Order: sequence, then C-alpha cells, then structure tokens
Amino acid sequence: MRGSDKGKIRHRRIAHGILILVSFSLMFVGKADIAAFNKMRMGSNDFLAPVIDVVSAPIRGIQTMVEGMRTVASLRAENIRLQGENELLKRWRRRAEILESENRQLRSITGVVTSENRTPVTARAVTAPGGGFAHTVLVAHGREIGIQRGNPVVTADGLVGMVVDVGNSYSRVLLISDFNSRIPVILASSSWPALTVGKNGSLLDLQFLPNEAEPVIGDLVLTSGHGGVLPNGIPVGRIAHIDGEEILVRPAVDFRHLGYVSILVGGLDGIDNDNLDLGKFYTPLPEDGGSRLLEGVNAAGQRQ
Amino acid sequence: MKDQRVYFEKADFQSALPYQLLVAIFGLLLVFLEVGLAQIPLFYGAAPYLSLIFIYYLRLHHPDVMPVFTVFVIGMVADLLLSNILGGRATAMILLAYVIESRQVKLEQVEFVQLWVDFAVSCAAVLLFQLIFFSLINLTLPTFGPFFFQTGVTLILFPIGFLMIYTAHRLLQKMKLLA
Repeated sequence: MRGSDKGKIRHRRIAHGILILVSFSLMFVGKADIAAFNKMRMGSNDFLAPVIDVVSAPIRGIQTMVEGMRTVASLRAENIRLQGENELLKRWRRRAEILESENRQLRSITGVVTSENRTPVTARAVTAPGGGFAHTVLVAHGREIGIQRGNPVVTADGLVGMVVDVGNSYSRVLLISDFNSRIPVILASSSWPALTVGKNGSLLDLQFLPNEAEPVIGDLVLTSGHGGVLPNGIPVGRIAHIDGEEILVRPAVDFRHLGYVSILVGGLDGIDNDNLDLGKFYTPLPEDGGSRLLEGVNAAGQRQ
Repeated sequence: MKDQRVYFEKADFQSALPYQLLVAIFGLLLVFLEVGLAQIPLFYGAAPYLSLIFIYYLRLHHPDVMPVFTVFVIGMVADLLLSNILGGRATAMILLAYVIESRQVKLEQVEFVQLWVDFAVSCAAVLLFQLIFFSLINLTLPTFGPFFFQTGVTLILFPIGFLMIYTAHRLLQKMKLLA
C-alpha cells in the first residue's frame, strides 16, 4: 500500500470518528432544550416540510380514494345512521341552549369572568407520528400569523395537543399522547383533579387521581385549565381501562385521522411559554379533618 | 499523439460522486416517503424503515456509493422530521453501516433467507439502540407495541425493497453499458 493511500485511510477514519462523535453528542445536546438548537431544528423543518407535502400528496390521494370507495359502498347505511344522529343532535342542541342560559345566569351571580380571548386558526397537519419515540405533528401555520409556543391545538372532538416549536410557516405540535405531554385535567362527573401523561401509544395514563375518587369506565376527562396555558373544559378523552392504580384514558381525538386542526391563538399574556411543563400546575387537593376538600374549578380555570 | 481530453473525460466518468449524490437524494426521498406513509392510519406511529432497507442493500453491495456521511445525513433528516432524539437514528445507522462493512465478504455469499434474518437482527438492533438511549435520557420506557409492528412491517417489505433496488441497479448497469 502506498503512503498516500494510508494517509487517505487515516483521514477517512478520523472523519468517521468525528461524525460518530457529532451524532452521539447531538443526542444529549438535543435533550438539553437549548433555544438556538430548537431554532435551528424548526428552521430545518420549515425548509423540509414543503418537500414532505409534495411527496405525501400521492399517498394522501390514494388514501382519499380508498376512503371514498369505502364510503360509496356503505352510503345507504351511512345515510340512515346520519339521520338518526341528526335527530339526536337536535335534541342535544335544545338541551345545550337550556344549559347555556342556565350557565350564563349562574355566572352573573358568582361574578366569574370567562377568558374568551383565543382565536381559532385552522391549520393542515402536514405530518403524522412515524415512530414510537415521539408523537408530534407539523402543522402548516407559523409565526407569520401569530402562533406562539403553548397555543392549544384542538379539533371538534377535543384536545389534540400544544404548540411546542414555531417556525415561520410551520409549527410543531406535541400531541397529548406523547411521553413528554402532561395535561392537568378533571373528571367531568365529579371534578376530581388529575394529570394525564402520554405513553407514546394510543392510551394516556391518568395519574395523581385522589384515592377518594371513584372513576368508572366511560367517565369524561376535561382540561382543568390550571396554569392558564390550556383553556378549561376541553375534552381530553374518556376512561377506557381501570386496573387498581392504573387508569388509562382513550383520547377524544382519533390521531390516526388528523387532517385539519384548530390552533387557539392568543390568551397567553403573562404566561411563561418558554417553560411548558404543565405537570407543575397539578397540586393535590387540601385536606380538612382527614378528608379532601373538593374545590372545583370555575369557568376561568381558577380554584374557588 | 492522442487527445488528452479523452483521459480527463474518462476520469470524470469514473468518479463516484454523481452516484453518491443520486443515492443520497433517493435515500432522502425514502425518508420523506416514510414520513408520508405515517399519515395512513395503518402506519400511524409505526411507519416502516424504508431507508434502512436501502442503506442495508447499498452498504452491502456498493459501499462506494453510500459513504458513511450519506448514512449520517439520512439518519439526521429522519430524526428531524420524526422529532426523534436528534442523532439517535443517525448514530444507530452509522454503527450498522460499519457492522455491515466488516461482514461484507461473508454476507455477499449467503442465501437470501440468511440475509433476511441478518437484516431482521440489524433492524432490531437499530431500534434497540434508539430505545436504550430514549429510555436512558427520559428514564422511562415507551409502549412497545408500535416497535414490534414497525419491525414486522419493515421485515415484510424487505424482500420487495431488495428486489426493487436490485432491479433498478441492474437497469442502471444495462443503461451504462448501452451508453
């Protein structure tokens, strides 16, 4: 072997060593959540997202075609089902109007002011989670229309997640099913507070639910609004499994069919959206004479 | 005396750089396709590792057109788009590239079924590497179901992917001969 060849091999080995070192250390730097690093990450997403959009177009087309064919095949049955559902919705609408009126009267008595300063912005989900290590999606709106870190993301069914990274034209949404997602919630039937924690799977863990609470399968879980980052009363899911201490919640939103979402812009005045660990907003209920005081949460997400 | 340009043209033609670039672009397209496939409800949270099949084939049969740097770039783009631990997949794939290189002579002579088994082990190793680091950094274990599904689908797609890359490779060779 010639000397120049040996030199080339040595240089290549050094370059490969550096490459491994760089990718290895990136794993730890990435976790450190450095602002400049996040900016660079979102910048590259801004650059790559349009390409994914183009590459995904045929896949979306095929998916739409398959769904269309399935719909045509079950059109008659679907029509009967929808008529029934329409009747049911009309009855629920009447009931909702009565409850809304009652709610308004009760609010005027207690003097509660509701926070309605969030504007919904519709955005298309460009990606979907492709692996078991992270449950996030890119949505096609960013800083240019005023999206901020911490903005809640919802659909008509319930809470999808929260914006965690904002680029110029695209934002990354952390789904409630992600391992890093912690949402302060209450049980709709009893107002007991708890915390949902993602498992990077299809179900969420319901943690810190006081022992006195008696959850049943099918109980609705709503955002509590604690901390003010998320509004209160957004459906998170329903209890799907109870096994001793382990309580699992099935999200209200089917993330597998996430086409369009609404980002609730605004309403973050006075909130430190650099630190979005919502888990810290959960506090256990105070005790009085051996039993807990069930405080309840008012319409503004504050404890009474 | 023969025109000197002939020699330069030949030298340019033999450079691996255009092929490396082409391979890198195709590898990145496969990553984009993976991300796109995740939008199909069946592959939600568990899109098949198409780029891994591609890297495995080329590192085995043509390591000259798939340098380690290309493997690094493909891994990093996948990590960025899938919001994985940045560098996790890149590191796992680089290490796999070295393992394949060290066993290249042996693997080139084995039957396809043995190669399939070897790929299954490689695929599981890449996932396990990422899983170990994910667990160490976050001090928890994610749900395992999607990983089994992801590995399973990738293994099912391996023969199809292998055949497609092999056919494309043969086609390119024929075109090269004709040219």
